[in-house]
Amino acid sequence: MPVTRINIGPVHPSTHGVIRLEVDLDGDTIVDVEPHIGFLHRGVEKLVETRMYMQCPPYMEKLDYVAPMAFNEAYVSAVEAAMGIEVKERAQYLRTMLLELQRIASHLFGIGTLCNDLGQMFTVFMWAFKDRDIVLDLLQEAAGSRMFYVNMRLGGLNQDIGPEFHGHAMKVMDYMERRIGEYEDYIEKNPIFMERMRGVGVLSAEQAKNLGVTGPVLRASGVNFDARKNNPYYIYSKLNFNPKVLTSGDNFARYKVKMLEMRESIRIVRSVLESLPGGDALGMPVKLRSPNPANRIATSSRELPRGEVFMYLVADPQKPYRLSIRSPNFINLAALRHMSKGARMADLFAIMGSLDLVMGGVDR
Amino acid sequence: MKVEREELKGTISEMKRKGYDYLVKITAVDYADKLEAVYVLRNISESKDEIIEVDMPATDAWVPTIIDVHLSADWYEREMGEMFGIEIRGRRAGRLLLEKWDGVDPPLRKSFTWSAPYRNMDSPQ
Repeated sequence: MPVTRINIGPVHPSTHGVIRLEVDLDGDTIVDVEPHIGFLHRGVEKLVETRMYMQCPPYMEKLDYVAPMAFNEAYVSAVEAAMGIEVKERAQYLRTMLLELQRIASHLFGIGTLCNDLGQMFTVFMWAFKDRDIVLDLLQEAAGSRMFYVNMRLGGLNQDIGPEFHGHAMKVMDYMERRIGEYEDYIEKNPIFMERMRGVGVLSAEQAKNLGVTGPVLRASGVNFDARKNNPYYIYSKLNFNPKVLTSGDNFARYKVKMLEMRESIRIVRSVLESLPGGDALGMPVKLRSPNPANRIATSSRELPRGEVFMYLVADPQKPYRLSIRSPNFINLAALRHMSKGARMADLFAIMGSLDLVMGGVDR
Repeated sequence: MKVEREELKGTISEMKRKGYDYLVKITAVDYADKLEAVYVLRNISESKDEIIEVDMPATDAWVPTIIDVHLSADWYEREMGEMFGIEIRGRRAGRLLLEKWDGVDPPLRKSFTWSAPYRNMDSPQ
């Protein structure tokens, strides 16, 4: 049968961003997929070379607009490593908690849109967005804004949490725990969902490592790597925390890892709030001139909701000389081609949805 | 760890045998007097990272491909090649990964010049 080539995108409701997929089909079976990226390329890596260190966080946040605080934190930690700045103890606790809240918000987004892509139109999506909004309320209370926070400062944060935060957070965590159970009930008892998730888009552990995929995609294939556990930062080494690893490597495992991680995040948030030390959490003011770098080359490796971000920073006294950003979305998308060969056309967006891509991070 | 580019592929295969079987990133840095390609490799089971640096003159910028050692090098190499004007030897020249760039200098080289502010106000269109 002759191969049919179809184009999907650049603008398509299921691509969650601007991407064009060139799909070769034999009947209904995918022979090859070639993603065309670059539609959202802003040249951030070049742009930051012309900006002072603390002018860059707003650019960093747009690289992953579903988990902006986490991306910003990865950048700020690279600058801190270059400058030799120690993060204050209370700020370490608060950053850990905020990053985990960000992870819950981001995974809710990922699961909601995944269910939409699978034709479970809008129930889970609406639930997830409603619940994400509640987590965003918490983040707003802690950081001062809902979407783009820019709340990381060298050595700390822009503001401490208020006296009411503890009570609000505990209440939200109880609520979220109950809701996650409801999601699992609703989603996993749906035979259509399970049919389209189990055994589709399988990636073995060996393939996953060879393709360089990261985050929940890597752990769903049975590779036990989580930067929070393997290269612990902040207080992760003190927490009793276990990365969630599954072995089947299919769409369902990638979904399930996110669910399990949300539960783990709730536990982390609770234990951080219970052991929060006193003192000061404020970082240096933005206008303060950065000191001369202690290390010319600094790296930071951070586990974001979508996977590991690796920052390679060559530092100059006032500006980054070169900042190379390894975005989890970029390399997870590169694996799409290998994962979807032989799958059905209708499964392509199930696979893509399970990768949970944000195009802002793919193109940079 | 500094490596000559002729030995790059051998070194990376050797490290893969020693357990560094995960490629984190390929990138490059343009120091004014030279270009440097940077390969970040990881040993997942022991949580160790190793950074391999390859120096090359800016006028003769090429590195061998390592795609047959790490499949994930595919997009990283293409991105680095396009953004830094580094030729990746040993692989089929394919379609550009990012959108086509019509400027002269590769965008992430330091010789790339930014447009002046307030430009294009005198042109008829």
